[in-house]
Amino acid sequence: MSASFLFRRLVYGLVLMLGVVVLNFILIRLAPGDPAVVIAGEMGGGDAALLDAIRAQYGLDKPLLTQLGIYLGSILQGDLGQSFFFNQPVATLIGNRIGPTILLVLSAQVLSILLGVFLGVIAARKPNGVLSGVVSVVATVGYAVPVFWTGIMLIILFASVFPIFPVEGMQSVRLRDAGLWVRSVDIAHHLVLPAFTLALIYLAQYARLSRASMLDVLGSDYIRTARAKGAPEHSILFKHALRNASLPILTVAGLQFGNLISGALLVETVFNWPGMGRLAFESILRRDYPTVLGVLFFASAMVVVANLLTDLSYRLADPRLRGKT
Amino acid sequence: MSALLEIENLRVAFNTRHGEVTALDSVSLTVNAGETLGVVGESGCGKSITALSVMGLIPSPPGRIAGGAIRLAGEDLTRVSEARMRALRGAELAMIFQEPMTSLNPVFTVGDQIAEAIMLHQKVGHAQAFRDAVALLDRVGIPSPDRRARDYPHQLSGGMRQRVMIAMAVSCRPRVLIADEPTTALDVTVQAQIFDLLNEIQRDFGAAIILITHDMGAISEMADRVAVMYAGRVIEEADADDVLDHPQHPYTRGLISCIPALGKGDTELREIPGVVPPLHRLGAGCAFAERCAHRNGRCDSGKPLLVNHGHHPAACHAVQEGRI
Repeated sequence: MSASFLFRRLVYGLVLMLGVVVLNFILIRLAPGDPAVVIAGEMGGGDAALLDAIRAQYGLDKPLLTQLGIYLGSILQGDLGQSFFFNQPVATLIGNRIGPTILLVLSAQVLSILLGVFLGVIAARKPNGVLSGVVSVVATVGYAVPVFWTGIMLIILFASVFPIFPVEGMQSVRLRDAGLWVRSVDIAHHLVLPAFTLALIYLAQYARLSRASMLDVLGSDYIRTARAKGAPEHSILFKHALRNASLPILTVAGLQFGNLISGALLVETVFNWPGMGRLAFESILRRDYPTVLGVLFFASAMVVVANLLTDLSYRLADPRLRGKT
Repeated sequence: MSALLEIENLRVAFNTRHGEVTALDSVSLTVNAGETLGVVGESGCGKSITALSVMGLIPSPPGRIAGGAIRLAGEDLTRVSEARMRALRGAELAMIFQEPMTSLNPVFTVGDQIAEAIMLHQKVGHAQAFRDAVALLDRVGIPSPDRRARDYPHQLSGGMRQRVMIAMAVSCRPRVLIADEPTTALDVTVQAQIFDLLNEIQRDFGAAIILITHDMGAISEMADRVAVMYAGRVIEEADADDVLDHPQHPYTRGLISCIPALGKGDTELREIPGVVPPLHRLGAGCAFAERCAHRNGRCDSGKPLLVNHGHHPAACHAVQEGRI
């Protein structure tokens, strides 16, 4: 892996982030609604003079391009601004919530890839078998069902019928002061349902994709070669075939990461998970521009990093790509 | 002395949308240790199916061995367990395929792929197996084998890859080596090198070779004995020189007359008219009858048997009746 490749990708990433920031800034101003009205409403209403005063206080009275310039200037200095609503620095707000979101998103990503690919590989072994059919049906259903519906159904199931998993929040109040180990287990216990809900839709896609990709690879000449040298079936599937079948899976995993983050917004709201999703939800409703922009900034940064990692993992998985730019 | 590998009345059937078709019908072949048997015929005549049957690699479903026996040193391979077959594959039976470009796994180094074959059948660690792989690459004539062993298949030429395939196939000193059109995808100059290498390997390792080809030139270069196949049956079998100098079956005669010879003043390339009939349309008679200049009523009513009518065995009514 060449250093120049890495450097070039990092520069691309930064330029991309700049574009995203500008676009986000403009898009949110195009949306209807006025933060001054929301803030005045929270204060119990006010007249035109109060609205003007609020606008002046938050710099909303300046021309849009000037506002953009000020925002970009402060972003470059590492300042995401002050939340209109929470009256705290946006960086602090996000800092408190990005951990739970990353935990949820990564858990869902790992769960959906591992389980989905495993199911796909098993299904590809006997493409006309019962298991293959089951995987196809589950995949179609998983893909079609909206994530908030799955979440609510799981809440109903596990809140009343089988109360074995917590359906709300990230930590038990009574365990908040317990030792690190106990708290970790508690968080993992709370993580099960949200992560599974978020993983389900992508799990289904990975299962279908890896089934198709494996079927393609299993017909190739080098698989016949592996059989001819006496390799056992598990080695054929998981070593010889899966490594080759993993390329399209990696592509989708990289592209899906953005969807996963937006899915996390819904899942966090349904399960009351204290992450960025709920912050985004609340700040959009309140037209809290700096907070919305900050959340979008971090979400975009996560997608850019995920795409960079996808590019790097391609090269690890496929030697034919190494040394190419 | 009984033969090392004996194929006896092998019948292989495939389920297709035309119903069950017989891809191999009463195929009997023998190969002795150190001997090279050439199997010739056009595409679709059953050469590769015969090879895959011996390796136990017939795709099943749709294919299955419907009858007969394949005996390796007396052990019937059609009756052994899959685990036993896996132990034999790569160790006692090895195969080289037609397409060196696609027969190696693109994501592993060639050294690792050879080392894997060694580790599957011998109790050695990866370091030792990799050293053995480098020695094998050296043996099959790959320059700077140390460095090449760490290369991926896409970094090697077609001829080099076929050498890698040969190194992998002989890594456990198999008793039977099947080469399925090993040079078809290669340049003519490289073809000769690969044949030389196979001959050397056979001398060193004492393996029996089954060379599958449609190239009569390769047969004259390599084979001790020849079996000619047509539409899933063996139609002529004898020592290579006998078949080349005194072909009996009209199909074999056709194959040999199709070899373009330099300096003979031939102006046209010859061919055998027609194509091998689809297997589901085979009737009661001789499968070659439709393309044969010596056809008569008997050819349409009954399949000729592979018996000696004079020079050496051939399955042809016309030869039997002395018409040709």
